[in-house]
Amino acid sequence: MSAFYLTALQMALCLGPMAMGIFISMKVFNIPDITTDGSYTLGATVTAVLLTSNTPVWLVLPISICAGAMAGTITGFIHTKLGIDALLSGILVMTALYSVNLMILGRSNIPLVDIDSIFNKIPFSSNEQYNQLLIALLFVGCILAIIIYLLRTDFGITMRATGNNPIMSKAMGVNNDSIKIIGLAMSNGLTASSGFLVAQYQGFTDINMGIGIVITGLGSVLIADTISKWTNIRKIGKQIMFVVIGCIVFQSVLAFTLSIGIDPNLLKMVTALFVLLIVALPRISKSFAKN
Amino acid sequence: MIQFKHISKIYNKGKEDEVAALSNLNLNINKGEFVVIIGTNGSGKSTLLNLLLGTISPTEGAISINNHDITSLPSFKRSQWISMVFQNPAHGTAPDLSILENFRLASLRAGKKGLQIGINNSFRKTVEEKVSSLGMGLEKKLDQPMGSLSGGQRQALTLLMGVMDKTDILLMDEPTAALDPKSSQVVMQLANKINKDLGITIVLVTHSMKDALHFGNRLLMFHGGQVIRDLNQTDKSALQLGHLQEWFS
Repeated sequence: MSAFYLTALQMALCLGPMAMGIFISMKVFNIPDITTDGSYTLGATVTAVLLTSNTPVWLVLPISICAGAMAGTITGFIHTKLGIDALLSGILVMTALYSVNLMILGRSNIPLVDIDSIFNKIPFSSNEQYNQLLIALLFVGCILAIIIYLLRTDFGITMRATGNNPIMSKAMGVNNDSIKIIGLAMSNGLTASSGFLVAQYQGFTDINMGIGIVITGLGSVLIADTISKWTNIRKIGKQIMFVVIGCIVFQSVLAFTLSIGIDPNLLKMVTALFVLLIVALPRISKSFAKN
Repeated sequence: MIQFKHISKIYNKGKEDEVAALSNLNLNINKGEFVVIIGTNGSGKSTLLNLLLGTISPTEGAISINNHDITSLPSFKRSQWISMVFQNPAHGTAPDLSILENFRLASLRAGKKGLQIGINNSFRKTVEEKVSSLGMGLEKKLDQPMGSLSGGQRQALTLLMGVMDKTDILLMDEPTAALDPKSSQVVMQLANKINKDLGITIVLVTHSMKDALHFGNRLLMFHGGQVIRDLNQTDKSALQLGHLQEWFS
């Protein structure tokens, strides 16, 4: 595998938990949650500050997840208890998180060189690149297993019913507001865990690293949705696996774009266009079929 | 069992479009009764159901179930006593979840929704038995999404789901309004069976005069936010369709 695509695969796996988080907020709860941009950076920020102060990496992970979950809880609280539109609630928290992240970082960028990171904790392979890939794979595999299990439990069914039909879930004794808050906390906790991984993978945390990251997650979820429709597989466990595959496809397309010599400055635009294409494709193909 | 004490519900109070949906209503519904409520549009019958369900609050008065004051209890907490069958079959089920998953949630209506996987072979068997009693062949489709079923099938399943967990009261808000005659018959007969076999109190709001005549052991007629007729089983048995039509004219 060329180093270019190997890097894309590693990055896709690091972003996998974030895409799963978007799946939970968008597909399970039907909430467009923009907090993602801020909670992803928050995860990376907390990771950078703690790792540079020699906190063991096994402790950094739960702390960064909790930080992300807290951001999601605030969004959920604003949305459900103050009755503010979910999109606006997410935008408000994301905006506030920029300042919070800047305060935590103390400056706009922290390099993470020569630190004890998750990627050099377990020596699976002597090849550094493959070792990183295996660790990212293991991490995403564990998260995937936990989320699949959770969504199949009674609590998971309750979560899915709340997003699917809130009138029914309320009649079934579900406190919709609390479930939504928990869901957004989970979603942003997952996003923060991606921040945790990416910061260590790329070797720095930057205050702007989360800008537009929600689009990457959204694109992955939309690709997953397309795969699910093509294969007619609707089981929740498979759908969330498709999200990780969607993430890999998404990053591979971006890698391909760069490999054919497109200006890296245009990468965000290419990302947006790619997502637009995925969203518009069903409609375009339908109108072609009609004609 | 269910008590409405001096209940008034005024919509848009103090505004130009103020409407009194219920005025000083006093009503007792006993355990095991199958109460059918009829009335013209705007007579207050759906308001009564919504007050009981907790989706709206009374302007004045108190509501209690089994001597528990539920007047200010949130809707989701009332599910320990109340199950609901909505007019729109789509409202009572989660379309993207499988039939089995819908039943699982229904079986936990008054219970804890924990972190265990509750759908196992024994649960599947229980649901299979219940669903097969409908005679619709749905017991072979338990893994299908609920949204793939017809309105009549969904409404019949909603009714079964209503009694999956312990319940005291089944509220039915025009449950056959969106169904074809055959499905309506299935749903109403199932409701009757639930009332007779399980002794569950049913409150049915309907515009169908035939259903009002054939089902239930008490008939209430609402008009202008008040009960203007309250017939017990004996009086109801003597009623004919013509009488009901006369009341509405």
